[in-house]
Amino acid sequence: MISTEALQAAPEFNVQVETVSHRGFTPEEIAERCVNKIISVSDSAHPAIREQANAFRKQLVTLVAFYIREGIKSDRTTIYNELCNAGQPKLAELIRRL
Amino acid sequence: MAFSGNYMCTSFKKELLFGVHDFANGADTFKLAMYTNSASFDAATTAYTATNEVSGTGYSAGGGSLTNVDPSVPSGTTAITDFQDLTFSTATVTARGALIYNSTPNTTSISVTDPTVIVLDFGGDKTSTAGDFTIVFPTPDATNAIIRIA
Repeated sequence: MISTEALQAAPEFNVQVETVSHRGFTPEEIAERCVNKIISVSDSAHPAIREQANAFRKQLVTLVAFYIREGIKSDRTTIYNELCNAGQPKLAELIRRL
Repeated sequence: MAFSGNYMCTSFKKELLFGVHDFANGADTFKLAMYTNSASFDAATTAYTATNEVSGTGYSAGGGSLTNVDPSVPSGTTAITDFQDLTFSTATVTARGALIYNSTPNTTSISVTDPTVIVLDFGGDKTSTAGDFTIVFPTPDATNAIIRIA
């Protein structure tokens, strides 16, 4: 007997929309999204394993957020220098102070 | 006239068998276009349309280009493909749902223009004002990925 195979889209609401107004996302908000792609903890997992996985997940969010901030700082240094080179020292200083 | 849920377009299933879509990273260009709740899409939707598409700062007609993630078999016998999250930056826009479509399909076997893949219902109006508007795709595993063949 040949079983029927299904071609299916993800169930309702698995695609989420996140919006913010008058600002961008914080490193922590982006880190949460990143970690959700890396690790998912099943509700049906053994409580001890779930607890351990959630603790690991929390550590991962902190770590990823740290490196996002490092990336932002480094990018601002690049922008600062680009603006200085373009003869915009005041604008560069504003960026540096963010 | 309104969004009524998420759908994988029936025409897309047929087009897969004709080899219209290549989801490999760097292959076909898939786009995500957003719409107001005046749009009415379902599994019978076949192609991108500009009718009822949202407009606003930070959003261009046709939507944003998605970054394909190479198809894979993460576990068992289910094959999946995925897209990276898409952000419309510094956007002032309100959307109720979206279409994912292929803007560079392979038309060797059948003639199609901007064929749709999936209809996404956001479940309600989503708004950003001078901020970031991000579509977050599900975990790319065998039970959650946006497109999977089980």
